[in-house]
Amino acid sequence: MPGSSSDSPFYVAPLESPASRRPPVTTVGPLGWLRQNLFSSPANAIATALTMFVSGWVLWQILSWSVRSAQWGVIFNNLRLIGSGLYTPDQIWRVEWTAALLVFLLGLSTGVWGQVARRTLFAVGVILTIIVIIPLIGARIPEPRIYLLVEPQRNPSTLVFLGYKDQEVTFQIDPITDPEEASTSLAGYIENARSRTEWFTRAREARDGTLDFADHTLLLTARLLDARGTDLTVGDAPAQIISTPDDLGGKLTVKLPRDGWYMIQVVRDDTNKADNAGYAWLKVDGVELFPSQIDHVEALEDEYGLAPAPDQAVRAEQSLYRYEGTQNFAEYISLQVAPFFKNISTALFAGLALFINGALIGFLGKRERRVRRAALGGWLLAGPVILILLYGFEGSRSLPLVSTRLWGGLLLTILLTFIGIAASFPIGVLLALGRRSTLPVVKWTCTLLIETIRGVPLITILFMAKQIIPFFSPALVDIDLTIRMMIGMTLFSAAYLAENVRGGLQIIPNGQIEAARALGMNPALTMTLIVLPQALRAVIPAIMGQFISLFKDTSLVAVVGLYELVGIVDTITKGQPVYRPYQREAYIFVAIVYFVISYAMSDVSRRLESTGAGSTRRLK
Amino acid sequence: MSEQKNSLEPIILCRDLNKWFGNFHVLKDVSLEVQPKEVLVIIGPSGSGKSTFIRCINRLEEHQEGQIVVDGIELSHDVRNIAAIRSEIGMVFQQFNLFPHLTVMENITLAPRFVRRQARRDAEGIALQLLERVGIPEQARKYPGQLSGGQQQRVAIARALAMQPKIMLFDEPTSALDPEMIKEVLDVMKELAQSGMTMLVVTHEMGFAREVADRIVLFDEGRIVEMGTPEHFFTNPQHERTKLFLSQIL
Repeated sequence: MPGSSSDSPFYVAPLESPASRRPPVTTVGPLGWLRQNLFSSPANAIATALTMFVSGWVLWQILSWSVRSAQWGVIFNNLRLIGSGLYTPDQIWRVEWTAALLVFLLGLSTGVWGQVARRTLFAVGVILTIIVIIPLIGARIPEPRIYLLVEPQRNPSTLVFLGYKDQEVTFQIDPITDPEEASTSLAGYIENARSRTEWFTRAREARDGTLDFADHTLLLTARLLDARGTDLTVGDAPAQIISTPDDLGGKLTVKLPRDGWYMIQVVRDDTNKADNAGYAWLKVDGVELFPSQIDHVEALEDEYGLAPAPDQAVRAEQSLYRYEGTQNFAEYISLQVAPFFKNISTALFAGLALFINGALIGFLGKRERRVRRAALGGWLLAGPVILILLYGFEGSRSLPLVSTRLWGGLLLTILLTFIGIAASFPIGVLLALGRRSTLPVVKWTCTLLIETIRGVPLITILFMAKQIIPFFSPALVDIDLTIRMMIGMTLFSAAYLAENVRGGLQIIPNGQIEAARALGMNPALTMTLIVLPQALRAVIPAIMGQFISLFKDTSLVAVVGLYELVGIVDTITKGQPVYRPYQREAYIFVAIVYFVISYAMSDVSRRLESTGAGSTRRLK
Repeated sequence: MSEQKNSLEPIILCRDLNKWFGNFHVLKDVSLEVQPKEVLVIIGPSGSGKSTFIRCINRLEEHQEGQIVVDGIELSHDVRNIAAIRSEIGMVFQQFNLFPHLTVMENITLAPRFVRRQARRDAEGIALQLLERVGIPEQARKYPGQLSGGQQQRVAIARALAMQPKIMLFDEPTSALDPEMIKEVLDVMKELAQSGMTMLVVTHEMGFAREVADRIVLFDEGRIVEMGTPEHFFTNPQHERTKLFLSQIL
């Protein structure tokens, strides 16, 4: 007995060692846990209460804002733009197939390498389904009606827009005659004030009913013109509405004859200015404003010719619009939540079905070498296949060329990331090996390249890619901007990756290399079979961190004029005055998208570190 | 017994080997012949150059002067010669140097598959036989980090044997092991010696040397101090340095 050992210097344990017992219970139920962890001391209790109060208050504010006053229309009305940018609308099926391919591959990978991160990949799959496929289906939600405020100060007012063949455009003049409308109808007009002073003035006038718009006669003519300013016709007559106080002129629907730029111009009869100083809405249906509103219309002008800019015209972004949103809770559900889910349900089910099918195939076949190879090969082939599918061929009927200048939104963000990762990984590894080379020229070249790129901010590299690459060779002038940005991002990422990989190479003990050489392996085999697998595994967290940065850094290409996720949302909310008041909603959505994808990537990386064959846990 | 072997063509021949690390003279005029199927145990204090010597034999270290001929091929800068010699020689390290990212089975089959271009199935068949020979066939699917030190060293021996070498080099194979595990590794080495493998063993295990070695070499300060049969060594050492060394470790 251990107790009696104090009496005697000798002790011999019994032959059988005692059975293992469970550790003693240290906490008692949820209440015990709370007491131990949250209220263990007065200071802790105060900290807990304070934190709970502050975070609760913040959460409540966000929640109540997002339900009561947020207008999520800015997101789901622009889902197509957010999803794929200006990608030619009737070719959208190609983007959908791209998304379908990616979702299926994700499903397959989840099934095959499920033990690595089944839960995470599943979550990523679901989220990607929602944010990649859905925007495209969502594009079928009718565009919102656009209200152009016709003011006395602007004559004529012109709305410039990009139209497609057979698109039906409806327009109507609606004079504002009821003073009661001031506080409601002009909400957007007030919101859109250019300065705080103007906003206060308008708001007060609207409240007092003194906003000057009602007591005047309105004589307006609204006409639909093509890019050269020629009247379009309905039958034999020009497509125009003449609105007088007696006859408002009704609605007019016109079918557009071809793809290209159009204008709707409202001309005020100025013969008697004093009598003709009121306000009216020009209500337009079936027009997508965004493409005409972007600050840089070069991309579209490449495709559709120069946008018209008549002397007296006010580019639509300078005009004032109002978007009729909802402001109360019942309407929030019926007008914002319900249509959204109604419109995404098809895509959601299609995406989920694809994902689950892929996962099932992967799971059932993961013991088969063939299936594992197919999953790996699928990812390798996905890059070229997607690029060809999206780009198409010159003169092809079934896959017409879609210029990369039209690629945008989440599509471009994901493509830049995907291609950046796929291309920078091998380049980065080669640079790292080159830097450790025994050949001085190779070593110096790689070092110089790595240090130069690492010493320059990414934004500078992107500007250089835009401006400088064409100087190197005339042949490079033709490389379009999107490709040049991909090259810039890839080089930047490769340089950082090279340093990470070099760190990994340095921790491989010399004994590993000696053992490989003693077994008769040549340097190439030693590197590919022994050193690199271990070095790369050791730096997975750093590499994944690098890829997450790359994903977020793609937003910088907005600065050089590409419309990836941030760029397009910025342009939608700035360019379409309808949505100008809803920048908060738009950027919160963007933040959520970035966060979800980044978090999923870092979760996969954490799991790669801690599980799987030869993980760091097993490295000795 | 050793007289009989001396009549054969030596499988390893070293003549006037000299090597420096910087200005430090590690090996001084080392000349040695090893006969096929001979077990040569190399002993000596640390820093005496014994590890460097056997690492020169498969050219993990380059000698600067002298000549090494292994199985009729002279070691030179010719890459083909080095590759040919390395595939004849298996090596076992003090720190095992197993590949931690590969399973035991992959550790053993890697070199046969990629260097010898054996089919995966053939290589795995041989690997399983070797694992049985070293007594751990049930560990084939585990990773090195999941094995004990003794088991790891036995895998390392199997890995070296998978290349079907004519010569095995052992560089202090039991020095990094817990005392309880030394015996299982020595047993495998004994079995290997009995099967007729040519072995060069750097070790401090005097019991093993006495029982298994055909000849024992004592290195000190980069040169061979004394060489002879175990019987000669343990009962009738000649050189003062040998006497001192033995008196300190026995």
